[in-house]
Amino acid sequence: MKKGSAELLILAILEDGQRHGYEVARQIERRSRGAISFHVASLYPMLYRLEGRGLIEGRWVEKAGQRRRRYYRLTTDGAGVLAAQRSLWQEFFTGINRVARLRNA
Amino acid sequence: MTTPDWRALVRAMLDRITGDPAHDADIVEELAQHLALRYDDLVAQGAGRDRALRTALDEMEEPARLAQSLRDSTRPRRKAPTPPPTGGQPSMWNDFVQDLKYGARVLLRSRGFALTAIVTLAIGIGATTAIFSVVNSVLLRDVPFTGLDRLVMVWETDRNTGTVREPSSLPDLIDLRSRSRQVSGFAALAPIERTITPRDGEPTRIAAVVATHELLPLLGIRPTHGRAFTAGEDVPGGPNVALISERLWERQFQRAGDIVGRTIRLNDVETTIVGVVPTEADFGTMQVLRSADYGRGFADRDVRSRVDAWLPLRGDPAVLVRDTHPLLVLGRLAPSAMIATAQAELASIMADLEATYPSNVARGAFIEPLADVIFSRVRSSLWVLLAAVGFVLLIACVNVANLLLARGTSRLREVAVRTAMGAPLPRLVRQFAAENLVLTAVATVLGVALAALALRGLVITAPADIPRITEVRVDGLVLAIAIGVAAVTGLAFGMVPALQARRVDLQGALKSDDSRGATAGRERGLLRSTLVVSEVALAAVLVIGAGLLIKSAWKLSVVDTGFRSDDVVKAEFQLPASRYPTTGQWPNWVEVHRFNDEILRRVASIPGVRAAAIVGNHPVDPGSQNSWRVVGREAEGADWPEVPIRRVGVGYFETVQLGVSKGRAFEDRDGPTDPPVSVINETLARRFFDGREPIGQQVRLWGAARTIVGVVRDERINGLTREPPPAIYLPYRQAPSFNGGEALLVRAGAPPTAIARAVRAAVREVDPQLAVFGVQPLAEAVGDSVAQQRFLLRLLLAFAGVALVLAAIGIHGVLSYTVAQRRHELGIRMALGATPDRVTGLVLGQGARLTAAGLAAGVVAAVALTRVLSTQLFGVSATDLAAFLAVVPVLGVVALVATWLPARRAVRLDPVEAMRDH
Repeated sequence: MKKGSAELLILAILEDGQRHGYEVARQIERRSRGAISFHVASLYPMLYRLEGRGLIEGRWVEKAGQRRRRYYRLTTDGAGVLAAQRSLWQEFFTGINRVARLRNA
Repeated sequence: MTTPDWRALVRAMLDRITGDPAHDADIVEELAQHLALRYDDLVAQGAGRDRALRTALDEMEEPARLAQSLRDSTRPRRKAPTPPPTGGQPSMWNDFVQDLKYGARVLLRSRGFALTAIVTLAIGIGATTAIFSVVNSVLLRDVPFTGLDRLVMVWETDRNTGTVREPSSLPDLIDLRSRSRQVSGFAALAPIERTITPRDGEPTRIAAVVATHELLPLLGIRPTHGRAFTAGEDVPGGPNVALISERLWERQFQRAGDIVGRTIRLNDVETTIVGVVPTEADFGTMQVLRSADYGRGFADRDVRSRVDAWLPLRGDPAVLVRDTHPLLVLGRLAPSAMIATAQAELASIMADLEATYPSNVARGAFIEPLADVIFSRVRSSLWVLLAAVGFVLLIACVNVANLLLARGTSRLREVAVRTAMGAPLPRLVRQFAAENLVLTAVATVLGVALAALALRGLVITAPADIPRITEVRVDGLVLAIAIGVAAVTGLAFGMVPALQARRVDLQGALKSDDSRGATAGRERGLLRSTLVVSEVALAAVLVIGAGLLIKSAWKLSVVDTGFRSDDVVKAEFQLPASRYPTTGQWPNWVEVHRFNDEILRRVASIPGVRAAAIVGNHPVDPGSQNSWRVVGREAEGADWPEVPIRRVGVGYFETVQLGVSKGRAFEDRDGPTDPPVSVINETLARRFFDGREPIGQQVRLWGAARTIVGVVRDERINGLTREPPPAIYLPYRQAPSFNGGEALLVRAGAPPTAIARAVRAAVREVDPQLAVFGVQPLAEAVGDSVAQQRFLLRLLLAFAGVALVLAAIGIHGVLSYTVAQRRHELGIRMALGATPDRVTGLVLGQGARLTAAGLAAGVVAAVALTRVLSTQLFGVSATDLAAFLAVVPVLGVVALVATWLPARRAVRLDPVEAMRDH
C-alpha cells in the first residue's frame, strides 16, 4: 500500500461519525470486502498517531450497563487533511488508470 | 472454559508501554476491549474458542514491537537511526566512520543495554588493570639491585630458641668474610634512627642505617651525586660522614647542586654529606628488617619508614663483641656457588666458631635468597588478588557476552531485513564490529579512570610493608591486555547475530511471531544459560574466598591480646645522649629519670587521663630478647631459650589493663637504687616454674639478681597471630633504654587527637628540642600488625561484591529475556487459568536451576582454589565448612532478587482490575 493510505482509510471511516477502534477496523474490512484488514497491532498505533497530530480526537464515553469505551471522531484539521488526501489519491488513481490503460491498449 | 481475562493478558504481554500508569491503563483497556470483541466475533463465526483466542492474540503480532510502536505513537517520536548506505562508497575509511557513527546512534537508542555493558566492562577493565599494575610494580618490575638472584641473606640461627633469622655479630661477620669461598662478598647493616636538627625549624626524626662500606657496591646501587663510603671511612674512629636519600636531599636541601661536602646535624653530631643515593636505594630494607627475629629497629615502630641516611658502621670488634648480634648480613654468591653449597660451607664455618667461642654456643647459619625475603610476605596475597580480579574480568566478559547474545536475538529481524535488501555479509559484520568498538572504547575510557582511582585508593590503604607500593602506576601493558580481552569478547559475541543471519529463516524472522524460537535461538539459549552458570560459579568462588577471610578477620578480632589498646595513645621519643648522659652508673641515669618524671607529672594533669606510663617496649613492639637464669637453678637454665625482656614503667599494667594474676605490679619503691625486682608472665611461670612458687625467687640478667614480685597475664607481643612468648618485665627505672629510645602510653577518655596534642605540648615544655614521633592510638598500631590480612580482606570483599552484582545482572538479564520471549505463552497460560503463583514458579524455577548449577560448580572449584589462601588465614581452614555453606544463602538471596523482578513482570496483574472484571 502506498504510504499514507491507512491514514486516508481511517479518516474516511470517521467522516461518517464517531466510532470506537474495533468498529473502525470492522468498517474498513467490510467496505473493502475483506481486501484490507486492520488488527490491533496496526490499528492503534495509527489511531494514536493521528490523534497526536490532531486529525482525530478520542474520548472515553460511558453508557449505561456498559464499560466505558473510547470513541474517535474527525477534527476540523482532520477533515481538511482528508479532503486534501482525497484529491491527491484521486490524481494518483487517475494517473495509474491512464498508465494501465495505455499499457493495456 | 472461562472467558479469557483480556486486560490481564494485554497487560502481561505489553508490560510497560508509556511508563505513565494511567495512560497505560487506558491503552490496555482499549486494546482489551478490541480483542474481546474480536474474540466474540470469531466465536460467533464458528471458530473454536481455542482458535479464536489464538487468532486474536496473533493479531497483536510481536508484543514487544507493539508496545514500542504504541509508545512511539503516543509521544513525539524519536528518529530511528538510518543504517549506513549499503552499496557504493569505495573508501574503507568513510565506511568505517559511518559505521562508528551508526554504532554510536544504535547504542544511544538502547541506553539500558549500552549502560549495563559499558559499566560491566569498565569495572572489569578497571579492577584488573589496577591490581595487575600493583603486581607488576611490586613483583615483576626490575629491582634496583644488580643480580638480585645471586644476593642472599646470611642469618644466624639459635638452636636453643629455634629461631633461624637472627642478626649476626661483628666478629662472626669478620670470620665469615675471611673464610667463605662460596659467598664472594659480604655486607652488613643495622637500623638506627637519628634526629635532624636544622638551623631553623622543628627537629625531625629519620630512619637511617649504619652499614659496612661494601653494602651499596654489593647491591649495585650507585650514588647520583658524590660517592659511596670508602673502606677508609668504615673504620673505628672514622670521620662522621653520611649518604642521604634523594628524598632528604629534596626536603632538607631543595636539591642543591653543591650538596656534596655540606653538613647535616644528626643527633647533635655535625656530619659531612659525601653523596646522594636514589630514593629506591632502600629497596627491601623494610622487608629484611621485618623478617629478622629481633633488631628490627624502626621497622617495628613504623612499617612505612623509608631510609633517609646511610652512615658507615665503623665497627670495632672490641665494642661490638661476639655476643651482641646487631648486624643484618647480606652476601653475594660466588659465580659457581649455589644456595645449598653456600649453606653447607657457612654452616661448617659457624660450627667451627661454636667449637672455638663459648658465646657462639648453639649458633648456626641460614642462607636465604634475598628475593624470597623481600617478596615472600606479599607474593601469595598478590597472586590471590590477581586471580580474584581475573575472575571479575571473566565475569564481566561473560556478562557482556550474555547481553550481546540476548540483544543479538532481538536484532535478528534487522539483520534479516538488511540481508534481504542485499547487504553483503562482510558489510554487516563490519557494522556490528564498529558498534562493539564504540562500546569497548567508551568502557575503556571509563575503565582507565576507574583503574587510576582504584590505584590511588590501593596505595593509600595497602599495608606499607609491600615493597615499592608507593611507586605503583597504571600499567600500560596490562591496560592493553584488559582492553584486548574486553574487545575480543565484544567482537566475538556481538558478531553472532550477523553470522547467524545466514542460517536464519528469513520468513520466520520477518514474521517475527514466536516461531523465532528456532534452532538458532535454542542453541543461544543454552549458550546463555551456560554463561550464567559459569558466572555464578566464579562469583561463588570469590564469595567463598571472602567468607574465609571474613571468618579469619573475626577470629583475629576476638583474639585475646592480653592488653587493651582502646583509649590508649602512644608517643615515642629518643633522648639524645648529649643532653641525657648515659655515662653515669646504669640504671641510675638521673637526667633520663628526671625527664620521665616531669613528663608523667604533666601528662597526669591532662583532663581525661586515667593512667600513663613510660616504657621501653609498648605492647606491639616485640623488643629484644635476652638469656636469663633462675638464681639457684643455673645449670638447668643452660639450654633455656632467650626470652623477651619488657622494660615498663610504674602504671604500665594499669594503662594497658594487663591483669596482675599474682603478687604485685611495679611501684614507686622500685627505683634505680632500690633492690632489683621483676615480674614474669604466666607462660614463663608455667613453663619454667612448673608448680613451684615463682614469687620471691630471683632471675639473673643484665648483671643483677632480680626478685620476682608478681606474675601478669600473657601479652601477644609478637603480633595477633602468634602465641604469646614467655616474658620477663623489669621496672623502667631499673632498666632504662641504653640508646635513649622510649615510649609514653596514655590511657584517657578524651579523643586521641586531643591527647596527642596535649602530650606534644607537655614534651615541648620539658624539652623543646626533643622530636616526638610515632604518635598514634595504640589500637591503630595493633591494627597495623594485621594490615596485610585486612587489606586482602577488603579487596576480596570488594571483588566478591562486584562479582555478586555482575552475576545478579547476568541472571536478571537472561531471565528477563526468557520472560519477554515466553510472554505470549505465559499470557495464554494465565488467561487459561494458571495462577500467578504458578507462572512465578516457572520463572523462579528456571532461575533456581541456573543458580544451583553455578553454586555446585563454584563450590567444587573453590575446594581446589581456596588452598592458595591458606597462608593468609588465621584460625580457619581453607575448606572451612561454615564459609562454604554461607555462600548458599548469600548467592541464593542475590539470585532470588535477580529472578524475582522478571518473574513479577511475567505476572504483573492489577488485582483490583482483575476483580472488577469478574
